[in-house]
Amino acid sequence: MKIAVLVKQVPGSETALPILGNHNWIDEEQVSFVMNPPDNFAIEEALLIKERTGDGEVVIVSMGPARVQKVIREGLAKGADRGIHLEEDGQIQTDPLSIAKSISSILMDENFDLVLSGLQSDDTGMGQTGVLIGEMLGMSTGTLAMETDVQDNAIRVKRELESGWFQWVKLPLPASISIQSGLNTPRYPSLRGIMGAKKKEIKVIPPTDHQTDAISQSIDKVFVSQTSKQTEMIEGDADSTVARIIEILKSELKVL
Amino acid sequence: MSPAHFSIIEKVILSGLTLIALGSFSYEVLRRVFIVQKGLDSLPFDRFGERLFRVFREVLLHEKVIRERPFPGLMHALVFWGFLVFGLVTIDHFAIGFYKPFMSDSVHHAYSKIVIPFAVFVVFGILSLAYRRFINRPKALGKISPTSGLVAVFIVVLMGTYIYGETGLSPFVWKINWWIHSILILAFLFLIPRSKHLHLVLAPFNIFFRSFDQPDHTPVHIDLEGDEDELDAMLNDLTKLTKNQALDIFSCVECGRCTDVCPANRGGGILDPKYHFIMDLRDPLLEGKDVAVLDQINVEAGWECTTCQACTEVCPVGNHVEKSDEIRRLEVLVEGRVPQEYQKLFTNLQETGNTEGASSSPFADSFPVFTPGKEYVLWLGCFARHGLDPNFNKSVENFTKILDVAGVTYGVLAEEQCSGDPANRLGDKLTYTMLREHNMEQLYETKKVVTLCPHCAVNLGKEYGKYGSINYTVEHHTQVIGRLIDEGKIKVQMGESGKVTYHDPCNLSRMLDIVDEPRTAIKAASSNFQEMEESGRNTLCCGAGGALWWKKETQGRTHLVRAEQVIESGADTVVTGCNFCYGMMKQGLGPMTPEGRADVVVKDVADIVADNLV
Repeated sequence: MKIAVLVKQVPGSETALPILGNHNWIDEEQVSFVMNPPDNFAIEEALLIKERTGDGEVVIVSMGPARVQKVIREGLAKGADRGIHLEEDGQIQTDPLSIAKSISSILMDENFDLVLSGLQSDDTGMGQTGVLIGEMLGMSTGTLAMETDVQDNAIRVKRELESGWFQWVKLPLPASISIQSGLNTPRYPSLRGIMGAKKKEIKVIPPTDHQTDAISQSIDKVFVSQTSKQTEMIEGDADSTVARIIEILKSELKVL
Repeated sequence: MSPAHFSIIEKVILSGLTLIALGSFSYEVLRRVFIVQKGLDSLPFDRFGERLFRVFREVLLHEKVIRERPFPGLMHALVFWGFLVFGLVTIDHFAIGFYKPFMSDSVHHAYSKIVIPFAVFVVFGILSLAYRRFINRPKALGKISPTSGLVAVFIVVLMGTYIYGETGLSPFVWKINWWIHSILILAFLFLIPRSKHLHLVLAPFNIFFRSFDQPDHTPVHIDLEGDEDELDAMLNDLTKLTKNQALDIFSCVECGRCTDVCPANRGGGILDPKYHFIMDLRDPLLEGKDVAVLDQINVEAGWECTTCQACTEVCPVGNHVEKSDEIRRLEVLVEGRVPQEYQKLFTNLQETGNTEGASSSPFADSFPVFTPGKEYVLWLGCFARHGLDPNFNKSVENFTKILDVAGVTYGVLAEEQCSGDPANRLGDKLTYTMLREHNMEQLYETKKVVTLCPHCAVNLGKEYGKYGSINYTVEHHTQVIGRLIDEGKIKVQMGESGKVTYHDPCNLSRMLDIVDEPRTAIKAASSNFQEMEESGRNTLCCGAGGALWWKKETQGRTHLVRAEQVIESGADTVVTGCNFCYGMMKQGLGPMTPEGRADVVVKDVADIVADNLV
């Protein structure tokens, strides 16, 4: 079983997020980055599948500037076998379609049986990259896996639906599956794992070898939402007060 | 006393039995010594005089045993003192059988005048202990121990036969009595090394070798750039006991004091230090004939420990009981099995150098920055820097107000990172190494550090000191305040805080031995101070130690037991000297306070002093 795990590096949940002067992204210089928490569960699931099936390879795939090698190493320290780093220079790509095109152009020749990804990234939260890659590589795709069960040439996946419902689906391999957080208990890199990870290969793909020109989405403006309180004192006699309240409920709050 | 004649056959039998008993005894003891010898590190002989004096107090005087459990302790002391007095009697007893007594009749007669009362004391002592063990059955003693029953019977018969032998018997009866007494003594030699009664032999040595420091875990040196074989060897050593720890296991007397005082156990957790940290390791040691047994510790129990050292403090035979450090570092460094909330904590520490993953601290920025001319580096710690309980900010400001009034100069370090206490106590020695190295660099030219956080104080001072020499001294703010009061640099008046009590933080009392200074400060500001029942070095942990502050789910109510005691004490104000205790008290007291009673006010030592500055 040859498994690719798509891993993203995102700002830590408690870090400050200063906005760049041109308002199109955050000032990464002042941000501390961590592994996208949902991807942690995808790595664990890949390692568990490898351990269960007894053989295979787990490859950590990440795209971004040089800093993302840190999360690739983290995956290697936990037990993945090698890494692929799609290098980016300048501002990072945030459009899931072009990211998926870049990654699938590189994964094309690898012939993975499984591509696992976290259900979404904690920064842009699009939740599309894994599905798009599956589509581009002609794989079957499934989202929000709560449990996986690898069989001969197929994988059974328990998918989370709305309102506490779930369904079991059987997907032929190869498949791209996004992993719901909390389905397993991610391990922590042991000291031997950390030492061993230093010797594992990270293949770096330079930007020119994977970047696409056709960008379908770009960020126009990033901003921190402002919260404010507006208080309106309604005065007058009972009739006019009631009339004003009904008007607010109808036209402003739209609850009537 | 009888001019007995022993035939050659009797002498042969006596010699045979004595050889077998001594041989068996030596074999059992040596086999344990052999295992202890395989332990890591060496047994300490430094501060020799102090160690000897400790043996004198704790073994000969039985000081600690009596203090902790006064009545049973005194009964135990009677048996022990009797045992010492009987030493000469026993030697003389066997000398008669082999050759002739070395005591003359008159000496024997005079000595028996001392020994007979002691024999009565011993019988009284052992019967009291047996009553407690088999009739009262306190929970701490655990399962019924048949060996203890046998030992009690042996001792009573030994004393009986001794006294009976002194009553002028016919030679025949005397001889039978003599043989019963002899066989019991020889049987003891069989029994002792095979039971907890081995503490008779080992406890004095164990108390002699006990570390002066708490906690006393061996430092874990990690060099990721270093040789891989060395790292492997280091990781292999993580399962091994030190010599001192191995000796502990064989010295255990199974009294259960450690479990009695354990906050996790008292709060309803599964951790039982007597079994998890000591007795569970004894059989693996003996069966494996090796010291690589630390992986036998129950992991879940290990994660419950607050590392408060109450178990170690209370042990009457000198054991360093707590071994959560050992099992946690195995789990983290070797197995990579870490509860999820702690993984988040470690990631925060690695990425941002603080427990909360924050990228700045406006609170820290509100203080003057340290510059070389200033006296103290004011070490804030993550608790204060990142508002783990925002109420505590005021306590820090109260402390700086005291410093300002006294004219003491100070400043904070812009690059202060977590001292590493949570990583250290949770076994992530790699993250600890990163933080320690960063901070040691920051403190390189520092002479004096003062902090309100005892956890930081223990690490910056004692723990960092295990890894290399440090050039600065670390003081806790209660020490500085206590001194400023003593020196008259600040004037404090008696305030209105009602009935005031003090909760001793474990890191302060047991680990740093700071017990008097906070009291000096509190008593200067309050005329109505009352101790809690468990105070000083015998304090009870608030529940936050050992990085349990960040643990999401705990079995039981470890974090509420102390708060309950505070409420029961009837205090209006509880003062503490630790930010974590402060936070735990604030959280615990509110919901626990019975309806209709005013909430107990929580204060830091700095608060009660600053509030009453003249």
